[in-house]
Amino acid sequence: MQDALIQLQTEALAVFLKVKTLDELEAARVEYLGRKGRLAEAMKDLAALDADAKREAGKIANDVKRTIEASFQATEARVVAGAAAERKAQEWLDVSLPGIAPAVGHLHLTTQAIDEISGIFAHIGFVRSRHPEVDWDYYAFESLNMPKEHPARDEWETFFIGDEGEVATGEKGKIVLTPHTSNGQVREIEKGELPIRMINIGKCYRRQASARHLPMFHQFEGLMVDKNVTVTELKGVFDYFVKRYFGPDRATRLRPYHFRFTEPSFELDISCAVCEGTGKIENGKCKLCKGGWLELGGAGMVHPNVLKAGGLNPDEYTGFAFGWGVERTMMMRSGINIDDIRTLYKNDLRFLTQF
Amino acid sequence: MNILASYNWLKEHVKTKLSAEEFAKEFSLRSMSVESVEHLDQRFANMVIGVVKSIAQHPNADRLRVATVDIGEKEVPIVCGGTNLAENMRVLVALPGSRVRWHGGADWTTLEKTSIRGVESIGMICAPSEVGLDKVACGDHEIWDLTSIIDAPAGASVAAALDCDDIIFDIEITTNRPDAMGMIGLARDAAVAVDAEFSLGKFESVESRALESFSSHRITVKKDDDRCGRYMAAVVEGVTVGESPWWMQKRLLLAGLKPINVIVDISNYVALELGQPMHAFDAETIAKDTIVIRPAKKGEKLTLLDGKIAELNPSIMVIADAEKSLAVAGIMGGKDSGTTAHTTTVVFEAAMFDALTIRRGSRAIDVASDSQLLFEKGLSPSALPIALARAVELATELAGGTLVDVVDVYPEPRKPKVFAFNPEQARKRIGVDIADAQQIDILTRLGFDVAKKKSAYSVTVPYWREDDIEGEVDFTEEIARMYGYHNMPAVLPASRPPAAFDDASLDWAMWTKKFLAGAGFSEFFSNSMVSVADLEMYAVSPKDALALYNPLSADITHMRPTLVPSMLRAIERNQAFTNTANVFELARVYVPREGDIPEERMTLVFGEYGVTNAESTFMQLRGVVEYFAAKSGITLTFDRAPKNDHWHDGRTVTITFDGVTVGTLGQVADDFQNSFGIHRPVFLAEIDLEALFSSMKHAHRYQALPAFPVVTRDIAVLVDEKTEFEKISSVVRGAKSLVTDCRVVELYRGEGIPSGKKSVTVGVTLMAPDRTLTSQEVDDVMTTVIRELALRVDGVIRG
Repeated sequence: MQDALIQLQTEALAVFLKVKTLDELEAARVEYLGRKGRLAEAMKDLAALDADAKREAGKIANDVKRTIEASFQATEARVVAGAAAERKAQEWLDVSLPGIAPAVGHLHLTTQAIDEISGIFAHIGFVRSRHPEVDWDYYAFESLNMPKEHPARDEWETFFIGDEGEVATGEKGKIVLTPHTSNGQVREIEKGELPIRMINIGKCYRRQASARHLPMFHQFEGLMVDKNVTVTELKGVFDYFVKRYFGPDRATRLRPYHFRFTEPSFELDISCAVCEGTGKIENGKCKLCKGGWLELGGAGMVHPNVLKAGGLNPDEYTGFAFGWGVERTMMMRSGINIDDIRTLYKNDLRFLTQF
Repeated sequence: MNILASYNWLKEHVKTKLSAEEFAKEFSLRSMSVESVEHLDQRFANMVIGVVKSIAQHPNADRLRVATVDIGEKEVPIVCGGTNLAENMRVLVALPGSRVRWHGGADWTTLEKTSIRGVESIGMICAPSEVGLDKVACGDHEIWDLTSIIDAPAGASVAAALDCDDIIFDIEITTNRPDAMGMIGLARDAAVAVDAEFSLGKFESVESRALESFSSHRITVKKDDDRCGRYMAAVVEGVTVGESPWWMQKRLLLAGLKPINVIVDISNYVALELGQPMHAFDAETIAKDTIVIRPAKKGEKLTLLDGKIAELNPSIMVIADAEKSLAVAGIMGGKDSGTTAHTTTVVFEAAMFDALTIRRGSRAIDVASDSQLLFEKGLSPSALPIALARAVELATELAGGTLVDVVDVYPEPRKPKVFAFNPEQARKRIGVDIADAQQIDILTRLGFDVAKKKSAYSVTVPYWREDDIEGEVDFTEEIARMYGYHNMPAVLPASRPPAAFDDASLDWAMWTKKFLAGAGFSEFFSNSMVSVADLEMYAVSPKDALALYNPLSADITHMRPTLVPSMLRAIERNQAFTNTANVFELARVYVPREGDIPEERMTLVFGEYGVTNAESTFMQLRGVVEYFAAKSGITLTFDRAPKNDHWHDGRTVTITFDGVTVGTLGQVADDFQNSFGIHRPVFLAEIDLEALFSSMKHAHRYQALPAFPVVTRDIAVLVDEKTEFEKISSVVRGAKSLVTDCRVVELYRGEGIPSGKKSVTVGVTLMAPDRTLTSQEVDDVMTTVIRELALRVDGVIRG
């Protein structure tokens, strides 16, 4: 019995030594260590022995089993490592094949800009508010210190709603496509929830169509109203936005201007990235900017008449407001060099999927 | 409005030594935006005065001649085509290296030494337009004859000889500041901006001088129109109307104006100086020496200075005589009443017209002028005597006339505006501690008269700012800008956070867009304004859409009440380049309401065009809607759509939320696909997000993982083509309680499947909450499932 066991061990170890492939490994496992394998058979024979012989043979049988198993494990490790090395040597990919893009869609550039702009203002506590795009001229003009017949109302080149030769009118005057997001100012103040830190982003409409002006475009309007709001705070908010959106190395300036609904009024300029604020390029004047500055948009301290229209006492409350074009702001940064702003809204997927 | 302002002229009134660039910078920061600075010595670089010594015919060209020109140090040959070229003529010679505009075109080019048709030519004899002075009178094919203008010697630099060693600023004047359209007003602002002394200079004597008064009148003025607030006329006799002196012509030219004759030039010069438009009539043309200011008669016509015939009506004001109209008030003079070389007596007009009347009149007759641009901004009647006195002074000096009459019709003299002023208010709004004294100094230097009252100040507004200054807050602006915004700190608001929160619908709209982009859809942005054709092509009555009263063109006339027509248009434009794609648009639609502004509803349209497998596209789009609903915490149900025109009946569902239909998902009906010119099927979902926003929530609920193994079994069932999956699913799910899910694994038609049938492979999920299922249990359930399918949907198990 013992001899037979020793012989089985010798034989198994010799076979294991010769194993080269995973298939041979499996065959050897089944032959010697399988449920019905040679070792199992030998173990069965043990049962026939008497108690003393069984004790002695059993001890040997266990040694043999441990030895064969250990040898098998070593063999397995050797064969698996060999097979892996073989695969590495043989298997191959054409790694020059192009990548397959993930099947994600593309947000429109304008949506991306709106998302980013609202995100920046959210950091300094401005919340997004929603106001009509088709509105009463009361909110678009009248309440913004632009009485009827005021020439300022001509500048906006406004679309009116109406049919059969008659402008639609109602409770608060004529109905217009709002030419600026400033119609949200008095609407927001009227809500009576103070203090206000609002960003209103929406579609605006003006009767103009050219490579630089669209009849439909987007603006974002900022409005802050509280006790003791100052020009210096508007300057702080403007600086913060410009540095976050355009980059920390861009300079800003406030330049006096005139709007009916703010007093004082100014335009906000940022330094030109092309000529680095010098106004000059190699062959003469910078074509993008005016003397090194690009005009971002208008701003100012809310006119007391606007606060009054919203039901506030201008001796108690002050505020600032700004209104800038989304497309203009986006094009000023992106360097996407779109000559014709109409390209943005042609809905051509070959353009849209670039972003 | 932009103006071209000469730095030399400004410096007559502002004592500054700043370089032009420094001046432009300071001025832009505190006053108006200087958009460009042009150094004329650069424009006239390498240009000299030449004297033509002799002229010979060009040997190889009929129309060219070769002039020998004395340019100081030497005489050079220059080929020239100018028809008026003559010996001893003083001309402007552009030498090689100078920059000129060929024949007055738009582009500047650098001149080189060259030979023209075989003859050497050192430079070019220029026409005025070739050096950027387009407004100098000069015939076609003529060169600029400087003989009578200047007597500088040959070789003199052009900038010096023409007294053009100057710098020109292009400045944007804001609409509230017509006073700054005049050099005096501009200089007054500039002096404060650059902290220099302001002086009226030569103008001082005029401003303080009262016009003589005359007891007997040469002319009569009848003001029959209240829209004229004040009318002044001065009659100057014995004038000789020739050219104005070069210094005056030069200033007009550099400001972009065209010199005409000494009288017209004086009117324009005074306007440049003061921002007060003037007009001059030939007294001989005024019938019965009577000037009448009145509304135009209906149908009245007047030939204007520019030759255009204006058709007038009573909304327009005219200056007339006893018989006929002479000028459209404030807009443009008539051709027949202007001054000419034969004029000996002129009537200078200085008037104040209602801004709105001028603005509307100009639009009505489609005539614009520098005068109208000023009047429509709102001017003060107090400027008139000063402007008139200045014009008379210049006329006497330059045209040799004598003042014989002055008439002033001013029934309701204006009182100066006075406002209380509290420096503390300005400090509070600006946020910077600017001392009272500094504030008052700024106001005073700008011409405001500040008087101390008990606790505050009283500020009198100077006449030239009457229209602009409306209240105390306007003083804050004057103080803030002159203090300098660039000198103020930038401070982030540290005050209380806002009371409101972000508008939830905007948040959800952005979330939806990002969800769709993540799911592979690309975003369109179409115009909210659509055409009648767009609407009708989609069978939407234009009556159901908001119409524009004044559309810009026929393709944008209505506010869209649905996004689908824009989407179909966009698909049509894309199909040639991108034959299939997943796209979406999320925007407001405008629903008309009687007597009210429209309801604006945020709406979503998304889908796929260029569809080849309707079933799979439908399932994918439905999957997007289902996933969208699950992620935003709402429950949507889908039902086969009733018969309708817009959608393909057999391939469409309606989407319902909380018992209300909120959208449709399916194939666009062939009719509309065709009418929009789209080649292949389009599947869209149109969802009224507005109905969902208030219920959407970021609800993430945790479901416990199964405690015991889940078993899935796939079976393929052969059923009729029109057997709906929902039916199959309910049979499977209802067969035994151990069935917890039933999914579509594969749909198959084709080889081995009889026509009119389909093979549906369903994945059946089985699970018990309290134990591991034995294979016997699973087999039993599946047997029941198979039996039920055979019984209820005629299902035959395949394979």
